[in-house]
Amino acid sequence: MSRVVDRAGTWIGWALFADLASAFTLTFGYMFSKPVTMQYPDKEKWLPYSRYRGHHFLKRDEEGEIKCVACELCARICPCDCIEVVPYEDENGNRHPAKFEIDTARCLFCGLCEDACPADAIALGQQYEFSSFSSRDLVIGRDDLLDKPGKAMTGGGVVAARLNTDEDVLVETSEPHGYNWWRNIRRT
Amino acid sequence: MELLVALGLIAIKVALLIAMLLLLPLPLTWLERKIAGHMQQRMGPMRVGWHGLLQPVADGIKLLTKEDHIPAEADRFLFKLAPILALAPPFVVFVAIPFGETVSVLNAEITLYVSNLNVALLFVFAVIGLEVYGVIFGGWAANSKYAVLGSLRTCAQMISYEIPMGFAVIGVVMLAQSMSLVDIVRAQSDLWNIVYQPIGFFVFFVAGLAEAQRIPFDLAEAEGDLGAGFHTEYSGIRFAFFMVSEYVIVLLVSVLSVILFFGGWNGILIPLPPLLWFALKVAFFIYVFMWFRFTLPRYRYDQLMAIGWKVLLPLSMANIIITGIAFT
Ligand code: SF4
Ligand code: SF4
Repeated sequence: MSRVVDRAGTWIGWALFADLASAFTLTFGYMFSKPVTMQYPDKEKWLPYSRYRGHHFLKRDEEGEIKCVACELCARICPCDCIEVVPYEDENGNRHPAKFEIDTARCLFCGLCEDACPADAIALGQQYEFSSFSSRDLVIGRDDLLDKPGKAMTGGGVVAARLNTDEDVLVETSEPHGYNWWRNIRRT
Repeated sequence: MELLVALGLIAIKVALLIAMLLLLPLPLTWLERKIAGHMQQRMGPMRVGWHGLLQPVADGIKLLTKEDHIPAEADRFLFKLAPILALAPPFVVFVAIPFGETVSVLNAEITLYVSNLNVALLFVFAVIGLEVYGVIFGGWAANSKYAVLGSLRTCAQMISYEIPMGFAVIGVVMLAQSMSLVDIVRAQSDLWNIVYQPIGFFVFFVAGLAEAQRIPFDLAEAEGDLGAGFHTEYSGIRFAFFMVSEYVIVLLVSVLSVILFFGGWNGILIPLPPLLWFALKVAFFIYVFMWFRFTLPRYRYDQLMAIGWKVLLPLSMANIIITGIAFT
């Protein structure tokens, strides 16, 4: 009996375009839901999570001395062969890199250099805006790497920002926290 | 003198009409992209002008300055002719389309149509049928397999959907006892045709979707399997011609739906100026077109043919018979 009713229901629905109607109500509903677009770079910007693997940076120890001991382990493990380290020995007999260059044009941001480093000297930070017109500009030297921003402390949010068209193409923001992007996702 | 004034009036009307039809695709592309965006929880164009309002202008400039490429093995004459053949018929059709009764400008009564043909409906269908030449020539001349496939599909599709479309409006003609679009609208001043002709409207609208090559019947330019269908090889301004023609046909089918089935410029309940009523209804149908586009998937080719010949054609014939029995 119920099967007959079911089938009759299917046929009535089919004749009255019930499936079409539900499709149209769905798209109509979506039309008035809030867009999930992050308006980067005009209005908003994404703050990466603290685990985000962005631009590399080199760390300093408490005395302000570069932590890297120029063991070249990162250069060895790098699958893209994009790190070049030239060591020197200072007056106290400590090894440090005289030259430390990362070719970010070749880097695949796997983070293996960070894992391999015995001195916890290199890591992949939060910066992700470093496009350039020339691949030569993407080879980053030791002193630049020391100045790069570190890991994100908070993050995983969308913050208000503005495009800074004056000097570099960088998106400025002053907000430390943002809203969670996922809040606008419709789950039905 | 009389003649000169009349001629001048017609020239002004035609110029206005052409300007409107050429400019209307600009806001329509913007609207379509906005609606697409919001239905997919995106924003659509946002960066050129306020909420991307100037985006169509930017796109137009881009198309105008693009290289106009003609494939090496193409039939150059047909290749250049095709966009014009695709563009002209939809424009010509609007000669017979009324937008309202009359308005008085400077104490003179001016009719809101270029001409009130007594066979307007026939004229519309005859001329719009010519549009298929542009599509066929475009696909054939480009000497590209995607374009040929697209134009073959279009050819079959347009011819088979024109038949139910033509049959579907016969019911309307029977009700109004006239083929003049003005008379048809006048006949609906009490009750809109949609009340008497729901089947007719259904067939007309579905066939109209196919005629305008919109989803779910956009097999001619199925992006997924044919590149861009018959205009795959077109670029620059010639491509823009095809786009404009597509939007003008969308407008045409919307206008025809309103005139034939939704009472033209006759309003209900709220007394608004007739022209405004007309524009609102047409805008609604244009929205429905876009709404369909971003809701439905595309039919398979055999399904398309089956719907045309096995569903719409019998339905439209049944509609004629029912109308004939009920209203004589
Ligand atoms: S992240 Fe990977 S590819 Fe990039 S420098 Fe480190 S090890 Fe090499
Ligand atoms: S960054 Fe770490 S792994 Fe690389 S050379 Fe320096 S100490 Fe060695």
